[in-house]
Amino acid sequence: MLTGIIVYGLVNSSILLLVALGFCLTFGVSRIANFAHGAIYILFGYLMWIFLNWLKIPFLFAILLTLVLSGIFGYVAYYVAVRRVRGIVLSEVVSTFALGVGILEFFRWMGFVTYEFSLPPIKKGSLYILGFPIDYQRLIIILAAIGLVAFLYFFTHYTKLGLSFRAIAQNERTAIALGIDADRVAALSVAFGSAFASVASILVLPLGIISINSGYEALLIAIAVGIVGGLESIPGMILASLVLGFVQIVVGVYVSSAWVMVVYLLAIIVILVVMPSGLLGKFKELEERV
Amino acid sequence: MLEGKNLIVFFENAIAVNNLSFYVNKGEIVGILGSNGAGKTTLMNTISGLIMDMKLKEERKGGERITVLGQLLFEGKDITDLEPHKRVELGIVLSRERHPVFLESTVEENLRIAACSRRPKESRIGIDFVYSIFPHLKTIRKRRAGFLSGGEQQMLSIGMALMTKPKLILLDEPLLGLSPILQKELVRAIKEIRDDGVTVLITEQFARPILPIIDRGYVMENGMLVMEGKGSELIENPEVKAAYFGV
Repeated sequence: MLTGIIVYGLVNSSILLLVALGFCLTFGVSRIANFAHGAIYILFGYLMWIFLNWLKIPFLFAILLTLVLSGIFGYVAYYVAVRRVRGIVLSEVVSTFALGVGILEFFRWMGFVTYEFSLPPIKKGSLYILGFPIDYQRLIIILAAIGLVAFLYFFTHYTKLGLSFRAIAQNERTAIALGIDADRVAALSVAFGSAFASVASILVLPLGIISINSGYEALLIAIAVGIVGGLESIPGMILASLVLGFVQIVVGVYVSSAWVMVVYLLAIIVILVVMPSGLLGKFKELEERV
Repeated sequence: MLEGKNLIVFFENAIAVNNLSFYVNKGEIVGILGSNGAGKTTLMNTISGLIMDMKLKEERKGGERITVLGQLLFEGKDITDLEPHKRVELGIVLSRERHPVFLESTVEENLRIAACSRRPKESRIGIDFVYSIFPHLKTIRKRRAGFLSGGEQQMLSIGMALMTKPKLILLDEPLLGLSPILQKELVRAIKEIRDDGVTVLITEQFARPILPIIDRGYVMENGMLVMEGKGSELIENPEVKAAYFGV
């Protein structure tokens, strides 16, 4: 039982991290809460499905195409949906959420709701770890989560674009004074966020079917992980994914699987009451903010 | 090199810069002296283009209206409506007031971030150049900027501005809040920067430490330039003495 909890806790944590990473990256860099994140996650799941089943594009090429298109989509979405209201937090949320609902309900209206919509796993089959069966897809998810975090670290510390991301995240006006184009960086941060969402959808969606509702759930996951971990700290997000991931599995095993979704909501409320800046967040505590 | 013609900047209910004309020649150190609220920082933001960004954000929010009138010329080119990052490309860079640096990054990372629009090799050369001007920064290069003293942050802030390889560097109150010893050190560095071929425009409240090194100075009051002269002339001027030396 314990092995099962550890293995599936890790898998679940990795899924949460993968789904949330893009949302938190965008917010951490440019303070844009991209509420279309869940919709983008589903949109590129469906696009991937269309590439594979309607257009018969080879698997690897379809992945590449999905990644590139999702980046472009994020970049354009910034200029279309966010730029005009940039800096007004509530309007940003309303505008991106509207975009997200539009995308999701469009697919519902198109009838993308049946069981045939599922993505193939990257590698079929399974193996035993410590006597416990686990399929390759879930292993790949764990590895991908680790890989993506490592990529993010190197990207933000050693590349020019990554450095400008961190500059804008820390002090936008100083960054501007040093010649960094804040609008472009913000658009690129949305682009990266949405590319990360499509990575998550390619890896996570094969575990089940692509459904409209999992788009809303993905947004909830992203917000929960972000708030619990502290929205701009990568270590915080890893910690939050682990905490939420394991708590969910434990709750699922010992209480009831009906309570699994409640974990997110409870965690958000508890964290906001007890430590509003998140577990490892760098936002100032409430009293300091005043 | 830089010329402002009848610059006017007004916020919704205050004129910050009032019909101001000035020029900076290549290779000069030009000082703008003025007390708190004289409009020095607004002028610096106008030259560096930060005001464009502030204006845009206020407009999007429906907040305070900021109006910029007049003309700014840099090397004969009209830059009045240019975005700040394009001005940096042209070679104008601002070290902001109260030295805001990237507090969570180390000193060396700060410098690398500042050079992120340049090629890696140039960035390496730039870092060596900054260390040659501020040898102290090299000894603390692994420290996080948030743990630096005000003087060290100021050096870093100027160093970061230098990383963009500017032709004209704008220093907004670099000596504010520093001890006399550190002020001396910075004044030496500013002179060295000029001797390396970078034109310097500097604002300051307290004229005493910088008057000896400036070639020309303007005195600013309520958004207007009320006096202009060579550094040595300003030192002798009784009004300047009374107002800015605290005599």
